[in-house]
Parts: sequence; structure tokens; C-alpha cells
Amino acid sequence: MLRFIAKRLGYGFLVLLGVVGVVFFLFHALPGDPVAMMAGQRTDVATRQAIEKELGLDQPLAVQFYLYLKDLSPLSIHEDTAEEQEKYSYIPLLSLGEDEVLVLKGPYLRRSFQTNKKVGEILLDNLEATLWLALAAMVFATFFGVIFGMLAALSQNTFWDHFLVIISVLGISIPSFVSAIIIAMVFGYYLSDYTGLNLTGQLWVNHPIYGRTLHIENLILPAFTLGLRPLSIITQLTRSSMLEVLSQDYIRTARAKGLQYYKVIVKHALKNALNPVVTAVSGWLASLMAGAFFVEYIFDWKGLGFVTLKAVQSLDFPVVMGATLFIALIFVLVNIVVDIFYALLDPRVHLS
Amino acid sequence: MLRQFCAYLMAVLLITAGCTATDNALEDGNAKVFRYNQAEGLSSLDPAFARNQANVWAITNLYSGLFELSPDMYPIPDMVDSWEVSEDGGTYTFNLKKGIRFHDSEVFEGGKGREVTAEDFEYSFKRLLDPATASTGAWIFNDKVKKNEAGDGFAENWVEATDKYTLVLRLEKPFGPFLEILTMPYTFAVPKEAVEKWGKDFRKHPVGTGPFQLKSWDEGNSLIMVKNPNYWKDDANGQQLPYLDAVMVSFIQDRNQELLTFQQGKLDFMSGVEANSIDLILDKDGAVKEEIKGKFVVQKVPYLNTEYIGFQLDPSVYKGANHPILNKDFRKAMNYAINREEMLKYLFNNLGTPGKGGIIPPAIKYFKENTVKGYTYDPAKAEELLKTAGYPGGKGLPTIKLNTTVQSKPMVEYLQKQWGAVGIPVEIEINQTATHQELIDNSRANFFRGSWLGDYPDAENYLAMFYSKYFSPAGPNKTHFNNSEFDKLYEKARYESEGFNRLDLYHKMDQIIMEEAPVIVLFYDEVVRLTQNNVTGLEPNPMNVLDLERASFVDGEVIQE
Repeated sequence: MLRFIAKRLGYGFLVLLGVVGVVFFLFHALPGDPVAMMAGQRTDVATRQAIEKELGLDQPLAVQFYLYLKDLSPLSIHEDTAEEQEKYSYIPLLSLGEDEVLVLKGPYLRRSFQTNKKVGEILLDNLEATLWLALAAMVFATFFGVIFGMLAALSQNTFWDHFLVIISVLGISIPSFVSAIIIAMVFGYYLSDYTGLNLTGQLWVNHPIYGRTLHIENLILPAFTLGLRPLSIITQLTRSSMLEVLSQDYIRTARAKGLQYYKVIVKHALKNALNPVVTAVSGWLASLMAGAFFVEYIFDWKGLGFVTLKAVQSLDFPVVMGATLFIALIFVLVNIVVDIFYALLDPRVHLS
Repeated sequence: MLRQFCAYLMAVLLITAGCTATDNALEDGNAKVFRYNQAEGLSSLDPAFARNQANVWAITNLYSGLFELSPDMYPIPDMVDSWEVSEDGGTYTFNLKKGIRFHDSEVFEGGKGREVTAEDFEYSFKRLLDPATASTGAWIFNDKVKKNEAGDGFAENWVEATDKYTLVLRLEKPFGPFLEILTMPYTFAVPKEAVEKWGKDFRKHPVGTGPFQLKSWDEGNSLIMVKNPNYWKDDANGQQLPYLDAVMVSFIQDRNQELLTFQQGKLDFMSGVEANSIDLILDKDGAVKEEIKGKFVVQKVPYLNTEYIGFQLDPSVYKGANHPILNKDFRKAMNYAINREEMLKYLFNNLGTPGKGGIIPPAIKYFKENTVKGYTYDPAKAEELLKTAGYPGGKGLPTIKLNTTVQSKPMVEYLQKQWGAVGIPVEIEINQTATHQELIDNSRANFFRGSWLGDYPDAENYLAMFYSKYFSPAGPNKTHFNNSEFDKLYEKARYESEGFNRLDLYHKMDQIIMEEAPVIVLFYDEVVRLTQNNVTGLEPNPMNVLDLERASFVDGEVIQE
């Protein structure tokens, strides 16, 4: 077991390394000049040079890549000065010669080009909004998906069954940026007097008099939009797995021994039909966080996706890199955890 | 299990919502809170990074400097009491007002704001030039202040606090509009204690001398500033400024959504309207729409902004030396071929002034539309010039590629048709802003859409776009215009401190630009400001700065959502 985890962690590490390399070189192949994005229209040589040096763009590309990896690495060698200490907040391990020291530190994601804020802080600040959004979308999708799927299966080949199947095919195939715009316009604009919902808005609103207040209603539209696709998939999954279970012998037995229809459906059929659904849902949270990019952008939802898209536009390399790495990390970890859970839950799965 | 979890979750949500609501409320329920939106997003509250409108707005309300701009764009004293300029125009001596204090802050001893001294200005100015700060504003002093003997750095005493309230600034050569430079937020005073304590995070821990101080900044979501109780300015009746108790900034990034929010009464002020929602505010003649009148106030003033299309004039980027863009007559023909009035009317509801004068917009003092003779719509003349250039009816012309961003697409498509009408084939390439900028800066766009927003209200700022020592990418000369007569006049004007002599030189230079036509001036923009009816004390200005020092609400009555 431990060997399995270690092996998976090793693979995960290689995946992350690959992500760093690909994103780093892709980003530098992009047209555009981050220094010009900072310096603006009026500037001069000295100002540009100072900014270039500050952003670390004055070095050759290979050196830049090496320095970035060094900043990420938990074990690295630095000069032992107060400045470096403040930058990396490291723990010195071993003194190497004059003033160099081998240190242990958290991965340093640098500071944003645009705002000079620490990337780690940016990610943490915006993670909350994304998590709530993904969670709300997932809860919504699971709850209604199971109900719709069950209804469709129980009324197989009727109008409702066909209707739900067609709608869910639509929900799977429509891209989120299209549905986001339609939903925002219809419910947040044309019908906003009736729905009381805004086109955009945040979960928390700061006010000088009322302080920080929670606005759950602002979560409704983005979560609904983000939940549409999982909702459709869960509906279909539940429907087909329910149909399969309903045709099993033990259901007939349960009915035959005189159990109420309702009890048979909920206690016997649904419980077993939900197995594949649970698997799907658990693996989904990570991809929802990444899939929230367009939804966040259109609803002005200040989460990870929003920040990342803004950073791509303004060539804010450290933020793009940090966000990509962070999401890659979540994917890797979730995959490992899911694999382990499979093994624990289902004795037929062997770790190898 | 799940039910328990849900109940727990709900409880946590309710509790957090409940307690935070009252945590940091202003005690007085009748507080005057001014609400505005910042679509572009705020990147820093450090004056050394006051590089865009969003930053400038917030920083202007948190900090102050030696001078400020009056509504008609003259530098007037702010923290300076009196000043002297030496005979040769190279040394400025400023006497500071006494008793002005920084905001109360934990960085000072006892938490009480310390008095501002000349040393704070010396520190702030030196910090701006220090490469370690990597300030985007270093250029304002770099080529102006006194150099050392060797000429490889700045003189030790280029800025010097000679006593507690006297600041001396030495320039290498006189610079006419230097006081205008000193109104820029880059030059605002910052306390050493705060910069040293917070380091790079000073960006979110501002300590200034402005009418407001920071309460909270939840980046991307909200910025809240509250009244500085120790602000040093009074109004004419002796009442202490500012009148407002707090300022609340939201960050809705979509302009149309911002307008909608304003119309719902959830913002007190907004500036700028997107081209596609201009119809909601102005009718086709540029007048405020009937149905809007009375609902809120719409104000328009000339903006310190010129919209243009530039030609790349560096011959080395073209394969042959005979490219039509290098031909002056051809460039003039392109200028004559477009109808600026019609374009403004149909695409912008007459918001803005047709660019029939020079590159310097009428928002600059003493530059009216007709001071400098530019180009009007004259297709016959355009055809004639095409013939002189050797392309009668456009025969033999290669297709000219116009680089632009998506925002200008309707406009350049309109122009494309007009050039087509006289026989000039133009194709359009649309890029992302970052790419567009890079193509221009590195001379990879031969014909490009540009706009110049003034950094300070002096014509010099516009004419610098054509000085041959300021070639892009480092300088503002994106067309690589190179004209020795222009350069001579530019250098002369820079060192000319007498305002009216300088003005004369500016006119001459602008006329050279028009004659040589390195750009096509399209129009001079206008500032549009919308305010709710109960807002007072806000003057629109050509720099479009939002100074809330004297803003208030009628009767002090505020309706807060």
C-alpha cells in the first residue's frame, strides 16, 4: 500500500514537473511583452530596465527556468541574508561554505507582475470563492440529477423519460460559456425584477456600515450554470444504472414478498444504483474547479479561474504559472485519493 | 450523516453571516457613504505604482503631494506653502506647509500620525528613482533631474531637505512643465516607516496624508476608505474636509453591468460609457436623452486624450524603399479620405470632437480645434494626392494592413470603407491588447490604431511622441518619426520656462506633425460622467481624476441599499 502511494506520488511529481515545463515555455512563446504591460505608454530605458530586472526577465530563458524551479523546490541553496530570508521564509538546514546555506522552504510562487502581491496569497484569497462555487454546483447537480434520473428510469419510454433524456443530452453538449451568457441575460437581466438576482456579484460583500455580509443569492446563477453539465451526466448515469438494477432478480423478490413500491425503489434499487454515481461525483470536484474558468469570467465571480484568465490577458506569468500548478496539484492528489479509496472499498480492485 | 453535515454547514454559515455583519460598522447610522465602481481593477495603493486610472483614483484620495491640479488644469499648491524657481530655471525651492500629519497608523510611535517634513519628500522622490523600487514612474525624473559629475548617475543633492520644511530640487536643465510633473500621484509623499515596515506589501498598507484612509481592501471585491479625522484642509466656511464619512469601491469589470448597477441607484458615480451602450445615454446628436433627463446628472468635458492611427516610418522595416506609407502624399491622402464628423456621429453619438486640428487635444490650455490646421474630409483632394504619389485611383497600391484591437473594430471597418472609396485597399488585423502593443512597440505593425492619454496636462507630453530620441519600445515615439527641425524645436521648448514662448513653439511643432502626417488624428475624446442627483462637489476635469475631498450629498441625506 505504502509502496503504491509512494509510486503514485512519484508519478504525480513528474506530471507537475511536466506542467511547469510546458506552461513555462508556452508562456514565453506567447506574443506580448510583460514589461510593456507594466510600464505603459510613457516610459524610458532606465525605467524599463529596472522593471525587467525586478520581474527577473533580464536573464536568458534557460536561467529563468532554472531559477523558477529553484524557487519551487522545497530543498534549495540560497545566500543566507535577511532579504532572502524574508522572501522565502526558509528554515536553514546546513551551512555550505561562506554565506551559502541549504534550506527547507515552502514552494515560493513569486509575486504577481501586475500587482506585486504574493501569488500564494492570490491563490488562497480566491480559492474560497471557487470552492464554494464548485461545491454548490456539485450539490445541486447530484441532488437533482439523482431525482431526475430516478424519475426517468421509473417512467421508462414515456414522454417524461424522453424529455429528460433529450434535455440532458443538450445539457452535456452545450458549452458552459454559451449557457452562462444565456442564463445571465435571462435570469440576471430580463427577469431580474422577478428573480431578484444580479448579473454578477460576490459571495461576500463589504460595506462600511453593515460590514462583511453574506450574499448567497449571488451564488445561484453561476452554480446553476456550472452544475448543468454534471446534472445532465448524473441524470443519465442514474437512469441507466437504475434501469439495470430494476431488472435484477432481487428487486422482483422484494416486490414479491410484498414490500411497498416506494421502499423497494429507495432502499433496494436506488442504493445499489448509486454506486457508479458516487464514483463519478467524487472524481468531479477537481475538474469542476478547473471548468469554472468561463463561468467565473462571465459572472464576474472572483475565483481562481477569473484571476487566471485576467493574468493570461495581462501576461502576468507568475499568477498563470501558480494557478496552473495549483490546479494540476489538485488533480494529481484527487486521483491518488480516489484510487486508494477504490482499493479500500472494493476488494476486487488490487493495487499494483 | 449527510443531514447532520448539512445542518452543521447551515449553522456555520448563519453564524458567520450574523457576527460579521456588526463587527466593524460605523457607529452613526446616517453616515455619508460614496459608492463608485472600478472596472479595470486596482493593482496597488503605492504611489510609486500609480500607473493607471484605477490606481490614480484611489491614491489621490489616500495621499497628497506638493501640488495638485485645479479643475482648469493649472498646478496649484497643495502641501507646498510657497516656492521659488532660480533665475536659470534649474533649482526649485519649496517651503512646505506646517502641521500636516500622516494618517494615524501602527507604523508610527504611539500609533499617531507623524508630521510631514521635507525629508519625507526627499525620501519619496529618491525611492521613486531607486531601481530596487522598480517604479513605473521613474521616467518622470530620470531624464530631468541633476546628474552627477561623471554623468553616470544622479547628483547626491538632486533632491535635498535643507531644513525641516524646505525642500530643494535641482534639475539638469530647466524643464518647462515641471510643476505639472509634481502634480502626478507618483510624486506623493510616503512615510519611510511604513515603506520599511511593509516592504513590497506597502501596496496594500497605505499611509498617506489624503482626505481618506484605508479601512479594508478585499482585492477584486471591495475597497473601503474612511474619512481621515485629522485632515488638514477646511472649506471656505471653516468646516473640516472631507464631508463624506466613507468611500466604497466595487470592482464590477463589465462596463454595461456597471451602467445597469448605476441606473439601479447602487452607485453614486460612474465615468465612461461603452460604445455599445452610449445609445442608452445620448441620442444621435450627442444630447442627453429625454428619458434620462432628471434621473441623474450627465456631465461632459474634453478629455486629455487623442485617438489616432499611426504609420510606421522607419524605412528599414519595409522591403523596398518605395513603400507607399513612406510617401508623404500618400499619408496625406489617407488623412483627407475619411469623414471624421460622420464617423463620430454614427458610431459615437457625437461624443468627442472631430480630429481636424493637430495631435494635441483641445483639453490642453490654448489648443482649440482650429489652432493648428489638420485635415478635413476632402475625397477629391485625396484622389489628387494619390495621383501625385504615383497611385492614380489607387492603381499599383499594395493592400495596407491596419492593426487594431477588438474595441475599435466598428470604427476601423467604417474607415476601411472610406479608404476603399478613394481606391486605397486596407485590410484589418485584430489582436489581443498585449499582442497589439507588442507589435507596435517593436515596429512590427506598419499601420496601427493608437490612443494617447495625457500623463500631465502639457502639450509636451503629446509632442514627446515624435521626438527622435524617444523611439519605442522604451520611448513613446511609436511611429519612429524623425525630423531634425521638430527635434530642435522640442529641445528648445523643453528648456523654455516662459509659458507663452513655449506655447508658440508647441504650435509650430504640432503644425510640423500635421504637415508630415506620421499619424491620422481621428478624434479628441470626451469624459462622460454620470452622477446621482443628490451628489454635490464633484467637478469633471480633463484628466478625469476623481477627487472626493469636497464631494457630499444634498441635505446629507443618503439612501443606502
